[in-house]
Parts: sequence; C-alpha cells; structure tokens
Amino acid sequence: MVTCLADLMRPSVGFSAIRLLERAGCRVTVPEQQTCCGQPAYNSGEIDAAVPVAQAVIETFEPFDYVVIPSGSCAGMLSHHYPALFEGEWRERALALSAKTWELTRFLTEVALLPAPKRAALEAAVTYHDGCAGLREMGIQQQPRQLLQEQCGVQVQELTENQVCCGFGGTFCARMPEISGKMADDKLNHAVASGAKVLAGGDLGCLLHLAGRAKRRGLDLEIRHIAELLAGNPKGPGIGEGRQ
Amino acid sequence: MKVASQDFLQQAHEALRAKDKVERRDLLGQFMPAARDAAANAYGDFDGLRAHMKRVRGHTTEHLAHYLQQFEEAAVAHGNQVHFAATAEQLNSTVLSICQTHNARRVAKGKSMVTEETGLNELLLKAGLEVLETDLGEYIIQQAGEAPSHIVGPAFHKSLAEVRELFLAKHKLGERALESVSDIVEEARGVLRERFLAADVGIIGANALIAEHGTTMLVTNEGNGDLCANLPPVLIICTTFERLLPRAEDAMALQRLLVRSATGQSHTCYTSFYSGPRREDDVDGPLETHIILLDNKRSDILASDYHEILDCIRCGACLNHCPIYIGVGGHAYGWVYPGPMGSVLTPLLTSLEQSHDLPNACTSCGRCAEVCPANIPLPDLLRDLRQEESAQQLKPARWRRGLRLHAWLLRQPVLYQRLTGWSMSALGLLGKRRGAFRRMPFASGWTSQRDFPAPEAGGTFMRQYAARKRRGGRRG
Amino acid sequence: MAESVRAALFARLRERSPAPAEPAEIARALATIGYATAARMPHADLHTAFIANVLANKGTLELALDRGAAVRAIGRYLYKRFRTHKLVAGNDPRLAAMPWRDGGVLPRFGAAEPGDAAALSYARLGVAETGAIVTFTGRANPGRNNLLPEDHLVLVNREDVVATLEDAWAKIRIETGAGAWPRGIQFIAGPSSTADVEAQLVLGAHGPCRWHVILVGDTPAQALEQARGELPEA
Ligand code: SF4
Repeated sequence: MVTCLADLMRPSVGFSAIRLLERAGCRVTVPEQQTCCGQPAYNSGEIDAAVPVAQAVIETFEPFDYVVIPSGSCAGMLSHHYPALFEGEWRERALALSAKTWELTRFLTEVALLPAPKRAALEAAVTYHDGCAGLREMGIQQQPRQLLQEQCGVQVQELTENQVCCGFGGTFCARMPEISGKMADDKLNHAVASGAKVLAGGDLGCLLHLAGRAKRRGLDLEIRHIAELLAGNPKGPGIGEGRQ
Repeated sequence: MKVASQDFLQQAHEALRAKDKVERRDLLGQFMPAARDAAANAYGDFDGLRAHMKRVRGHTTEHLAHYLQQFEEAAVAHGNQVHFAATAEQLNSTVLSICQTHNARRVAKGKSMVTEETGLNELLLKAGLEVLETDLGEYIIQQAGEAPSHIVGPAFHKSLAEVRELFLAKHKLGERALESVSDIVEEARGVLRERFLAADVGIIGANALIAEHGTTMLVTNEGNGDLCANLPPVLIICTTFERLLPRAEDAMALQRLLVRSATGQSHTCYTSFYSGPRREDDVDGPLETHIILLDNKRSDILASDYHEILDCIRCGACLNHCPIYIGVGGHAYGWVYPGPMGSVLTPLLTSLEQSHDLPNACTSCGRCAEVCPANIPLPDLLRDLRQEESAQQLKPARWRRGLRLHAWLLRQPVLYQRLTGWSMSALGLLGKRRGAFRRMPFASGWTSQRDFPAPEAGGTFMRQYAARKRRGGRRG
Repeated sequence: MAESVRAALFARLRERSPAPAEPAEIARALATIGYATAARMPHADLHTAFIANVLANKGTLELALDRGAAVRAIGRYLYKRFRTHKLVAGNDPRLAAMPWRDGGVLPRFGAAEPGDAAALSYARLGVAETGAIVTFTGRANPGRNNLLPEDHLVLVNREDVVATLEDAWAKIRIETGAGAWPRGIQFIAGPSSTADVEAQLVLGAHGPCRWHVILVGDTPAQALEQARGELPEA
C-alpha cells in the first residue's frame, strides 16, 4: 500500500519502496482503487467516517499475501486500530489483514531480505527520526538503522531524545500549530546538534512537518524518507527543497 | 477549583512565550524520564509488576461494593467516622462542619489532589479558618497564590530565585541570604514547624485504602503528611473510593510502582498506615479521625468506557513523558490535573464543553501509555473523548466537515485520484523552484508555523504508476 | 442526606458487578492473583542487602554485636553530634532494659517534645528490599518520635530483618493478630527529604535531617564493607 502522503506529496517514496521490494524478490502490485487508510478521520474522533474507509482498504488488500507500507503509522493503523473498529465477520477480516501487514523496513529485515548492494556507500552524515507509531506500535527501531548500515554504509548519528514525538500528530499539527512548532524545533535542534546533514525517517507525515519547519527556519538539512536512501543514492531534491 | 481549560490554546501560547520557563520544563522533560527509566530497570520485572497491579485493580473494581463495605466496617470498628460525599461541595461542607464543631482555627494540610479538585481551601479561608499547606511545593504555590503545575511537584515551575523572593516577602524574618535550596528548605521547616504544633485539625489524602484492615496508606518523602496525621487533635482524610485495594500487600505493590514512576526513587521515606484515633496504648495522635469518601462523578466514570482512568495512581509519569505537557506546562491546562491523565480526567470531572481542547492536545505518540504504571491506555481514552467531542458537535464545524468530506472522498478512488492528480501536478509545478510554500489557502494552521512542502514534480504516485503500467502493458 | 449519599453510591457500585459474589469466592479469586514480585536485591545476602539499601536511602548505619555495644554506639553518636548524652525514647521494655550507663547515655522515656534533638526507636522490623524499618505507634514508640527530632536513631535486631515488603506484612499480621491494631504502622526509609525546589534533593524537609540505623546482632564487619561497595561480594 502506498500511503496517501506518498501518493500526493512524494511519489518517489512509493517507487523506491517498489524497487526495494522487487530487489528483495517480491512481486509488487499497487491496487488502483487504494487511497488512504483513514487515519485523519479516525484520530480526530470521526470514527464513523473512518469505518467505511477501513472496510474499503480491507477489501482492496484481501487478495494479497503481504501488505507492505512505507510508514509506521499507517501500518499501525491497519494492524492495531482496524480490528478494534469492528465486531463479528469484519473483525475477522480486519484481523486477517492485520496479520499480513508489515512496515517496509521490518519486512525487508525479517521477511524478504535485501541482497547486498552493488553501489558505493552514501557519503553523508545521517540521523534518523523514529516515528512514534512505528516505534511503539510496530516495533520499528533497529531495522532502519540496520538497513542504512548494510545498504548505504552509514552509521546513524543518533538524536538526543530520539523517543520523543516530533509534533506532527496528524491533524494535531494544524489544530495546535504553536505547540507542534515547538516540538518540531526541539527535534530539528537535536538534528542539527547531531552533526548530520540528512534527516531520515520512516513516516512522511513527520518528515513533511519537519521539512516545512526547517524550510521556514532556513536550516541546512536534507530531509528524506528512508526508502529513498535505501533504493539508491537519491538525486532529486529533499522534501520541501526546490531545484537548485 | 475554577475551570479555565476552555482557554487552553491562549494559555499555551503564553506559556510558550516565557522562554526561561520553557527551558526549565525542557530540562524536566529530559531529567525525569531518565530517572524513571533507571529506577524501572533496576527493579527487575517492572512490567510484570505493572501487569500484576492491573490484575489486582481489575479484581477490586469488579468487587468494589464488597471492598468498600469491608473497608468501611473495619474503619468504623477502629473508631473512625466515615462520611460519603457525592459532590465537591459536600466534601467541603463536611470538612467545614467538622472544623466548626471543634472550634478549630488552624488547619494544617498534607498534599491532597482531592481537596485541590474540590477547592476546599477557598471555602475554609472564607469561613475564617487559617489553612496551611505543608508540603513544600504546595506551600510555595499557596504563598504565591497559584495553582499546582504538576501533580507530584506542584512548584516545579518556580525557580530558586522566585522562591527566594517569595519567602523574603512573606516571612518577616529580617535580613538573610537564602541563597541555596537548602536555605529555602530550612526556612520553610522552621516556619512550618510552629504551625504544625499549633494546628487544631490536620487534613491529608490517601494513596490507598486497604479494605481488609480499614487503614489508609500515606506515601511521602517530606514527612509533612505524617506530622499532620500525628500532631493535631483532629484528623480528616479526604479521599475517593477508587483508591481501594484489598490487601496491605497490594498497597505495597502500588507503592513500588508509585515511587519509581513519580520520582525515579527506589523507596520513599515514609509509608504509613493509619487506622484511626488514639488507642489506649497511645500517648499521641489525633483524638478523633474522619474519613471522607468523595464520589464527584467517579461512579459515573466507573460505569463508562473511561473506567480505566480510575486506576490512575497520580504518579505524574505521563506528564513528565508528554512532549505537550513539557511544552506548555501544567497551568495551560486550566484545572487541577494536567498532562495526559488530566486531559482525560478534566473533561470527565468538569465538562467536555469547557475542556474539549484538552483531548486534542495529543499526537497519539503513545509515550504516556508506555510508562503509565497503571497501564492505562491514555491515547485511546483521549481519542474516545475526541469522538465524543465530535458527537456533541463541539469540534469547530469547519474541521468536522473537512474531515468527513475527506473520508467520503477516500471511498471514491476514481474521483479522488482525478482531483488529487490534477491539484498535485499544479502545486508541484508552482512550488518547483522554491520547493515549498509560505502560505497556502485552507492550511493556515499548518503554514502559521511551517512552510508547506511542495509535492514532488511529476504528478501523484497513482498517476505516474498508472502511466507506467500502461507503457509496460504496451511493451509487454 | 449523608445516609442517602452512601446508599446511592453502594447501589451504583453494585450495578457494576451484577452478580454479587460470595466473600469466600472473592477471596479465592484474589488468592489466585497472588502477590507481586519484589524488587531486585542489591546483594544476595539478606543483611548486606538491607545495609546497602539503608545507605542508598541516605541513612547511616553501624553494627553492634549486642545491646551493650549498641548503647556505646549511641553514646558516641550523640556526643559527636551534640556533645550531650540526652535522648528521648519510647516506653519500650526492650529499651528500658538496655545498659544505658555503659554508654553514658541519659534517655528520657516518653513522647518527643519540640526541643528534643534526638530520638531513639526500637524497630519491629527491617526490610531489606527497601532499606526500611517498621515501627508501630504506641507507648513503646509514640508516632511523633519518628518525626519531630533532628536525628532519628533506630535499633533493629538482626533477626528482625526480612527480605521483602510482603514478608514484612506476614510478620505484621502475626504481631497484630492477637492484640488491637495499632493506630499507625510506619515504614521509614531514610531521613525526611524533598525535591520540590529545583528538583534538587535536600535532606531534612519536615522530619528528621539524619537517620542512623544500628543493626544489633552478630553481623560480620564485611557485610558493611560489601554493602558500601568496598569489598567484592563473597
Ligand atoms: S495516568 Fe498513569 S502515568 Fe499518568 S499519573 Fe496516572 S498512573 Fe501515573
């Protein structure tokens, strides 16, 4: 599944994920009727609006063996929150989807392993932001670091307070922009202090929010989704950057 | 206490502007989680302890009537007078009438969130009583005329310099330096000691009610609560029924969780179990003891989907781990309980209408639930409150309509992809040079703080993917 | 009114558990839950662990072979701290029987008064898990004796040290089983402290500023050194 944010804002995340999965030996399909997992409504408490969206997703992905998503929070939505939305038959179907849903980096380290790369190491200091849902709902922590090491030859320069939220939080960032901005600043300050030039992450929501704030502050940070880095040394501009 | 939660956003705005306070809180947000983690790790199987407590609480809640009755009978047999208060006003007036019966003038109080909740001090002061908070943090904010900013460290927001100014102004003790934290503590000790000895009534809270023995457990480090419980001739314990636990051993398990989660200590200086008034064998202690059990909507919460919040042991860990609490501080929340637990409790104990911003002050990051010793699913409860906010039509209508329209659109993939495909291409082209927009219609919330990153050039993923498939199809 | 509030609350609580279980049934359900697992001990040896935790709690501790040695230790402590031999202690028969003259100590037996600088308690129990001592209020140890003085000295017998808080309660249940329940049972683990200003720990908040434990009985001196981390564990 390609997340709605990747679809709209950063298609190269979707294509990078496809390339990685194919490299790991998978046959990849993105169903035409997929749109979004329904988190915005769900997290804002519009549960009844989120339910039919979830049903559509469940139906769409029923024919596949695995559902791999380049986002911890969307994967968390499918695996943890969908089953809680239903009872009876739909719950069973939601649980079946949950069981085969994987976040991309975990899938690439536990199910379909990536072969060793045939390219030179990435020449940039990289730091990594752990998205909260990935970290706490999907157990994503060491996988992206391991992949960056194996595939790109980089050792992540850790952020202080790397378990703290960046302040994106879906609609939170627009409903409480000031608080959200403060949290973004904390994260960006830690990123700058880490000495890294590239801030990578596994969730486009966080990254768009951080990139927007970094741009506003004029910080010199290249912000990218981890799939872009893993798929090959990316040439295009980072998130929120123009063409030089 | 008066509710000011409706002004959360404004209060948060002001809190974020006071840079020195922001820095203090950032330090707290780094220091406290580190201390808690170290203590939890040193414990051994801390998660096992949490799970154990959850089982005990589940059992207790299932048989609350039984345990409350057991507690009441045992407490009465020990010579306590047990009162029930349905509302904050009833608790306050019960306390006042006990004080008046004894012609009391001076009241010494230990830390009690329940009496903060009911606004007891205000009533007693109005009735002409002298009320003195004796927990150092509570004493400081009482002198400053402020509300607690944290449920464990009520005066964490005050700097040494501020406390010094306050003491110099409030204590008429002549010239003195008061340069260090020790000086402050020593002065407070001296000033308060007199007042303990002169108090007619002591008021404390309880960390647990032990059903089998009819005793209450009090956990403190300062020893002020114990002085309140041992020196004045009348003792009033203000508490709530959800503090009930079956056995003393269960209270001990709770204490283990509490100290590590609250301060990162592995012990607490004083853990006391009080059973009632002076016995034949006693040469000190109160002659009369009262236990007041406040409901204040808790029985409603118990019957609701939010009942797990009643397992809260008031450790404050969720505050210390919440980046939003650390960002804006306790006062922004506008009532007694701040942070994640407060964002659940305030709407339930006051009204959602007054406080519906609070459940939205959450990114669902889950860090609170990860450390909550009572294993309360705080983010889920907050999401449920947001759902109620929608159901009660308290959410800004613009938001609600937007979210629902979006959700509807998601189920019309063809239309959705056409709309997004078109608009993202346009945005991508427009933003190609700079890579981001400073302003964006309908996204002022976003762009007030950040630029809006432009979509990558080339159109949406779905459009490009479809095009590739078509090409691939032709080729193949 | 009060009665109706009570009745209404009980009615609501009963709603919650539709089928009111028999007390015996509830007790059985509770028993299957059992007790919690205690904290990891700093040392395998019970007394070493107790000592280590007393020290971790910012207490001081010395060993005394018997009551005579304990009295002498108390005398030295008081002289060093206050240059006096005055002390207040509860009417505990165990304290009354101590050879006070050997240490040149002059205890006053009764409840602590505001001027008393030092008080002595004979603890019922020591708890290794938390480095706490346990006292009951009563003639033998008035509650205020633990709280008012600057210095709180505590004697605890080696054989009264238990491992966990659950073990402590097992003993308390035995001690309280026959007679009346004491007004207060106090677990004390360290001098009183506060971190309410600048989150900085200061000893001597409202209660004692210093807490000195004397472990009475034949405890090898290495236990103290091991607890201090000066000697590796055997
Ligand atoms: S909700 Fe949990 S973490 Fe927060 S104060 Fe209560 S017990 Fe502590």
